Amino acid sequence: MKKIITLKNVSKEYKTLNRREGLRGSFLDLFSRNYKIINAVNDISFEIKPGEKVGLLGPNGAGKSTAIKMMSGVLKPTGGEIFVNGVIPYENRTKNAENIGVVFGQRTQLWWALPLIESFKLLKDIYMIKNADYDNMMELYKSIIDLGPLLNKPVRQMSLGQRTLSDILASFLHNPKVVFLDEPTIGLDVSVKSKIRELILELNKNKNTTIILTTHDISDIDALCERAIIIDKGNKLYDNSLENLKKFFGSYRTLKVLFKKNEEWVDYLVNEDEQSVMQKLNEIAAQKKIVDIKIEEISTEDVIKKIYDGGIND
Amino acid sequence: MHKRGLLFYVKIYLKIIKQDIKSKMTYRADFIISNFGMIIQQAAGFITFWLIFQNFPSVAGWKYEEMLFFYGFSLIALTPMQCFFDNNWFLQQKVYSGDFIKYCLRPINIFFYFISEIFDLKGLGLLTAGIAILAYSWVQLEIAFSFLILLILIVNLFAASLFLIGIMNIAAAVCFWTVTGEIAMVFAQQFQGYARYPIAIFNRVLRFLFTFIIPIAFVSYYPSLVFLRPDNIPLLTWLSPLIGVLFFMLSYFIWMKGAKNYNGTGS
Repeated sequence: MKKIITLKNVSKEYKTLNRREGLRGSFLDLFSRNYKIINAVNDISFEIKPGEKVGLLGPNGAGKSTAIKMMSGVLKPTGGEIFVNGVIPYENRTKNAENIGVVFGQRTQLWWALPLIESFKLLKDIYMIKNADYDNMMELYKSIIDLGPLLNKPVRQMSLGQRTLSDILASFLHNPKVVFLDEPTIGLDVSVKSKIRELILELNKNKNTTIILTTHDISDIDALCERAIIIDKGNKLYDNSLENLKKFFGSYRTLKVLFKKNEEWVDYLVNEDEQSVMQKLNEIAAQKKIVDIKIEEISTEDVIKKIYDGGIND
Repeated sequence: MHKRGLLFYVKIYLKIIKQDIKSKMTYRADFIISNFGMIIQQAAGFITFWLIFQNFPSVAGWKYEEMLFFYGFSLIALTPMQCFFDNNWFLQQKVYSGDFIKYCLRPINIFFYFISEIFDLKGLGLLTAGIAILAYSWVQLEIAFSFLILLILIVNLFAASLFLIGIMNIAAAVCFWTVTGEIAMVFAQQFQGYARYPIAIFNRVLRFLFTFIIPIAFVSYYPSLVFLRPDNIPLLTWLSPLIGVLFFMLSYFIWMKGAKNYNGTGS
């Protein structure tokens, strides 16, 4: 089977200065060569097939963004090899850029002062998109979402949700083979989240675009991806179908309980195969007065903890 | 892979400028105030200059009208930098916040993409003031006018602006390595002020510094000698267009090396 993305033993090290405390420490740091090496990505390998929807899951600082930056040609790995559509991204940045689209949540790549339609027209020229292809894409967009309120609005006047939608549309405009979405739903409310997920799924279905999505929110992966790769502290912990992952974690819920107003929420991880959330709630309520509750999916941190504890095999 | 030649970049650039001007016009108050500010700033600079020469009829053998010539010449030379390369002032902020990454993701030249983002109309005020001052001193000094001398003037102005742009490119690129601070930019801008004086009035250390280290002597002094001291033109004057092109290229390579060095702060 043909592969669209290949990572072979990829590592990325950063050198950072060991900082000392206080003003005196800062002054000493000016002359210090005392570096600390951080392995942002540590010997990671995987292959991705055309049209696949893959979620890179991990807590903040796990190395997801570093991996995306290496695949998009911004960063050069310190070890290993990367191929994206047959191109080595960091050696041929512009050629790679033609084949990919990248979206960073909360960081727009559109022209800030321009109405969206003008940004699209500039991108059309930059990527040398043919008129017919451009028109087809716009037709497809219009069939999926209501472009009306977006097209003539300057990007600076958009809400975060509108801006993220616009950035995603812009990233698919030149019909790239791969689209990288780095935390696309961060900071968005539930209804906008689901709108964005819908858009991504439709575009993937219509254009068979490979989707690589990073998130620390397991519900994104659940809604969008068929395969999950879990990264923690630069290491690959898990790489298998989402179904396999859900077999182990599907029955887990995080029960969040508030005992007193203005206090912190207390989390309980409940396995519904053993005990229902209601039973657990009764148990807690019998001991302490409850002000409020929330039920959420298992958090990424808990999944990772379970994997370390040996709860799952890849 | 698509080929993107000079024509492609010119076409894209014109489109971006057109859009940028359109959007600037929508911020009318900002547009009017910043242009007004520019006029005041230039007027203040000129009045200081004028006051000094009320007391000294000449400085180190340079007449008031000749000093005006340097002044006007340097203002015109400043115009391209102000109009086309103003985004360098925002580079540090974009590198620091991590927003610079967006320039690395398109299949076009990073320097071009970054610089094309802003077209500063205020620069046209510099051009107007510069032409007026230069024309006045030209007439007062009774410099002969011919097609050839106009051509030399244009070539020299072009070279002079390449030096200015080059200095600011290098100063801006410093932030790719240091990440914080735009001290190099402020420092470089301070030195620009000296460009309007003939370097002959400075001491030997500063003359060396302004010729070989921070080459502001090439911004108006050396290129103006063709018109002001036609009997005694130094070699550096003739070489200045060539050195200007080389210096600009050097600054471009330093800037691009910095951009490659950039490793995307933040997530």
